[in-house]
Parts: sequence; C-alpha cells; structure tokens
Amino acid sequence: MSVTSKKGLDYWLPKLVLSPTVAIAIIFIYGFIIWTSVISLTDSTILPRYDFVGFEQYVKLFQNPRWLSSLWNLVVFGTLFIGVCMVVGLVLAILLDQQIRAEGALRTVYLYPMALSFIVTGTVWKWLLNPTVGIERFIHNLGWESFQFDWIVNPDMAIYTVVIAGVWQSSGFVMAIFLAGLRGIDTSIIKAAQLDGASLFSVYSRIIIPSMRPVFFSAFIMLAHLAIKSFDLIVALTGGGPGNATDVPAIFMYQFSFQRGRLGIGAASAVIMLMTILAILIPYLYSELRKPKDA
Amino acid sequence: MAELNIKNVNKSFGTTDVLKGINLDIQDGEFIILVGPSGCGKSTLLNCIAGLEDVTSGDIMIGDDNVTYAAPKDRDIAMVFQSYALYPNMNVRKNIAFGLEIRKMPKDEIAAEVERVAKLLQIENLLDRKPSQLSGGQRQRVAMGRALARRPKTYLFDEPLSNLDAKLRVEMRTEMKKLHQRLGTTIVYVTHDQIEAMTLADRIAVMKDGIVQQFGTPQQVYDDPANIFVAGFMGSPSMNFLECSVVKTADGFGVQIESQGKTFELAADPAQADLSAYEGKNVVLGIRPEQITHVMPHVESQPFVTRVPVKIEVTEPTGADTLVLTHINGQECECRVHPTEAGNPGEQMDLLFNMSKAVFFDAQTENRI
Repeated sequence: MSVTSKKGLDYWLPKLVLSPTVAIAIIFIYGFIIWTSVISLTDSTILPRYDFVGFEQYVKLFQNPRWLSSLWNLVVFGTLFIGVCMVVGLVLAILLDQQIRAEGALRTVYLYPMALSFIVTGTVWKWLLNPTVGIERFIHNLGWESFQFDWIVNPDMAIYTVVIAGVWQSSGFVMAIFLAGLRGIDTSIIKAAQLDGASLFSVYSRIIIPSMRPVFFSAFIMLAHLAIKSFDLIVALTGGGPGNATDVPAIFMYQFSFQRGRLGIGAASAVIMLMTILAILIPYLYSELRKPKDA
Repeated sequence: MAELNIKNVNKSFGTTDVLKGINLDIQDGEFIILVGPSGCGKSTLLNCIAGLEDVTSGDIMIGDDNVTYAAPKDRDIAMVFQSYALYPNMNVRKNIAFGLEIRKMPKDEIAAEVERVAKLLQIENLLDRKPSQLSGGQRQRVAMGRALARRPKTYLFDEPLSNLDAKLRVEMRTEMKKLHQRLGTTIVYVTHDQIEAMTLADRIAVMKDGIVQQFGTPQQVYDDPANIFVAGFMGSPSMNFLECSVVKTADGFGVQIESQGKTFELAADPAQADLSAYEGKNVVLGIRPEQITHVMPHVESQPFVTRVPVKIEVTEPTGADTLVLTHINGQECECRVHPTEAGNPGEQMDLLFNMSKAVFFDAQTENRI
C-alpha cells in the first residue's frame, strides 16, 4: 500500500505541478488559434457572431487593396531586414572574431539594442529621423543647408526607415549568433587552410561560412518571425503612415479587428499570418528534428 | 633538399617564455620527434616551424632559405593536426584538393594527384564522403592525404595519433613509419607518448620547460640520458631513482644500498661514470627495471652484478614479465622478473642488480655524472 502511494506521488507530482502551465498554454495559445480560425469563417463585426459564411472573409481580404499593399510592404521590409541584418551581423561577428582587444565590451555595445523594446527603438528613431528635430536638422545646423533626409515623411521611402530601425535593433543579436557559430569552429581548421595557402578571405568564404549553414538557418528563422509579426516597431516609428505607406499585416489585423469593428476579416488576416510563419517554420523543424537520425 | 635548422629560437607570450633558445639541426629525410610533458613548448615549436606563430627571436632555415618571417604557405610544409582539422563542409576529395586548387593547379592534374594519394592511403572508397561520416582512423588518413597531396619538403605532425584508440594507434604508427620510409621526406612529429617517440624516431628531442633537454637517437636517449628528467620520461615502466652514497670498493667505486636493514655494495662500471669526486657524497643511482632481475646463473657471474635479497611488496604481471615492487634505501624500486620466478607479495626474493648499464646523477643538479 505504502509502495503504491509513494509511486503514485512520484508519478503525479510533476504532472500536477506542470498542469496549470500546460492548461494555460493549451487554452490561451492553441485554444485561441482555433477560436480565431473559427471567427475567420464567420461574418463577425464588432463582436463575435457565429453565422458561418465559409471563406468569404478571405475573399474580401484578398480583394482589399490595403491588405495587398501591406503584404507587399512585408515582402520589402522582410527581405531587406533579414538580408541586411544577416550581412551586418556576419561582418561584425567576423571582425570581432579576430582576437581584438576589448571584445567583451564591444560585443555588449552591439548586443545592447536587443535589450530595448521595439517601442523604445521606434520612438528614438522617430525623433532621429524627424526632419525638423533629428538628423536632417543636425546636418543643417552644421551648415549643409541643402541636406535632405526626410524618408520618414516620404510615402515612397518610409518603409526603409523601418528597415533601418529594425536592423539597428536586431543585427547585434544576429552577430551574437554568428559569433557563437564562429567560436564553434576548430581553430586548427583555419591554421590548416592557411598552410594550404588560402587567404583569409577564402578561408571565410570557402570553409567557415559554408560550414555555418545551420547557424544561418537559425538566424533566418529568428529574423523571419520577427519580420512577420513586426507590429510595435512600426506603430511607434510611423504608426503605419504616412497614409498607409508602412502598413504591414500585423497592423492591418489590429486595425480591422479592434478599431474598425471587422473582426471576421481581421481574424482571416491573422490566420494568413500564422500560415506564413508555419510555412517557414515547418520545413525548419522538419529538417532539425530529422537530423539526429541521419548523423 | 630540406634540412631544417632551428637556430636559437625564443618565443614569449607576454612575459611567459615558452621557448628558450632552441637549437635543432635536422637532416634531410630525418624523422624527428619532439617529445615532452604538456606545456613543455613542443607544440609551440611546431607552430613556429609552420609559421602559425611568429618567433620572438632566432632563425628558422629550411634548406638554404631563411623562412623565419615567411608566411606559412611559402614555407613548403604540410601539417597534420591533432583534431585533423578537416574542412567540414567539403567531401574527402575536395579536402585533399583544396590546397592544390588554391595553388591554381590544372584540374586534370588535381584529379590525378587526388587519385594517387587516395591509392597510397587506401581511401579511394571514401572520396565522396563528408568528414562527419568518417571514423577516427579514416579522418586521420584523410588528414595525412591532404598533407601528402601537396608533396611538400617537410611534414609536421601535431600529436596525430592521440585521438585514436589504442589498437588503431599501434597500427597507424607502423603505417606512419612505412610511409616515411617510402617518401623519405623530413618529418617533425610532436607527441607526449614516449613509446611513439621511441618506435618512430630517427632522432628524439626531449623537451621540458621550453628547453631541449637532449637530442639524440632513441637508443642514446634511452641508454645515455642527459639528466634525471630525460631518464624518467623515456621508458615504461620508468627508471628507478635511488639516492645512495658513494663508497670505495675493492677495485673502484660503488654505491651502498640498504634492503631490510642489511647493506650491500653495488660496484659501478667505471665506463658508465667516474665517481671518484663523489666519494662519501650522495648521488642518484638510475637503474632501469629490466636491469634488476631474478637470479640467472649466467648473469650472476658477470662483472658488476650483485645479488640482493628483498621483500616483495606488490607484483604486477604484464604477461611477458612480472613487475615486482620493493623498497631499496626506503625508496620504491621496480624490477622486471620472469613470471614463473616472481614470488608473492610479502615474500622474500633474491634479485640481481646489473650495474653495467646503470647511470648516476648529481643529487643537486640532477645532471648526469
């Protein structure tokens, strides 16, 4: 009797302790994913209603020019943000890996923006980029009066200011990932390549960078999901403007669901965003989880 | 020709002197082994020869060229690393070809060279595999293949066998020696394993604290060690060191030892050492375990052989011999006897001390007398 009760406690205690977390996760993450999917199939407006209309909201969504332009903005922002972050992060990591002095301090400096929230980053860059108080005015005061840097108020260029702020915030983190990857490489490989006569450039381009493919993949996944769900940075920096010039799907979703009282179309846009992330994540998880069997 | 001359090389990292005035003259085609405990500077010396570390002062000559300040790639050397350092993203073929591609060798020649090397090392069936798909021994072969492909004048090996299991290590050791005999190039090989050093080397440089303690053939290093460190480092089980006092004997000098309260005089071979200056003083007697054996009549009649009864403390059978541990002068002493002659721990046993190859060291300087 005592044996079974003891075994019972050992058996149940971890489950008991973990169950609230599991329950919360199931309800508030997966439950609401399902709920959102259901809502996206109804004609809900301000409040949820359960009159099912099939995929009508999705059809409406893709007929909405604002949604299409927000998708295009996401493509532009995502590509540039991921690309520039990777390049900047990799260059910083390679430079930091040359056994320089004060590496620890410099690493912290580059990593520090990561400690700020996107709201802070957005606000700071809003001021910096504002033509009347920021960089443009500073240069004017230095005496270069014709200098123009008004991207943030220019509808054609505003999306690039989001890229600038995003890169500033995230490239340090990418650098840290790459630096860890570089540190994982056996230094005698570099020595061997030197003896083989390879220049430093070809050591990196032909050996080190190709062998860091998994690291690139991780960095890409991290940046891709940051890009797709980017919301706070854009709200703080441009508020989606000027006009709708920096609209992205997350802002579209927020505005339609909670400000314009069109919950159905907002839910549909949220489901599309989830699908986009899954489209990137599933191949990644598949390749990651399959690997141990191969190796 | 590829003589390798290392002239008065010093290397410091900050205030730490790692190499202190290294001088080595290595002949063309010699197999040289740098051996010593970890931290003795042997790997640093190898890196200096390779050009991966700059020397603080001194000169390194390969043939007639002073390469002290030449880039690694201009020294015409190849190196095999302890971790093998294979390029993880390339298959075996590309690994071997990489150095040749960098040197802009025509494609068909590269292919031919890869084939030649693969055949030599019997890795033809591995050419399309990635390093991660190879076993330790196979990686080791590929690393050697990469070195061989460039046909350099000098090969450097940095503990190439230390990551292999014991059996494979012995196999690769033999192969390494065969390979050297076939290629006839100069090899500098770093190891901390004195058996590897003894079996492979034409000459051994025993290093300690950044100084070459002795540079000579394996037999010289074994029979004529320059000091206690070299004597103790080479040979397994290691030489016995017994501190004892020098006494005058009937026809020369000898040392006095004590076993179980009785004293014995061991006559020293004057050809081994002149002990006249040490009469009455203490010296360190160095005698290898195989020079202390069970009683064999044909040995007992030889000069400089003394019979000493001892008490057996521990026995360690190795198969071919049994090692018997006893106490002489209150110090541990290991003896190598025939398994059937060895008694049991606690028992008495008569041993023959053969002094014809014994060596003596100054108790203060630890140098050879």
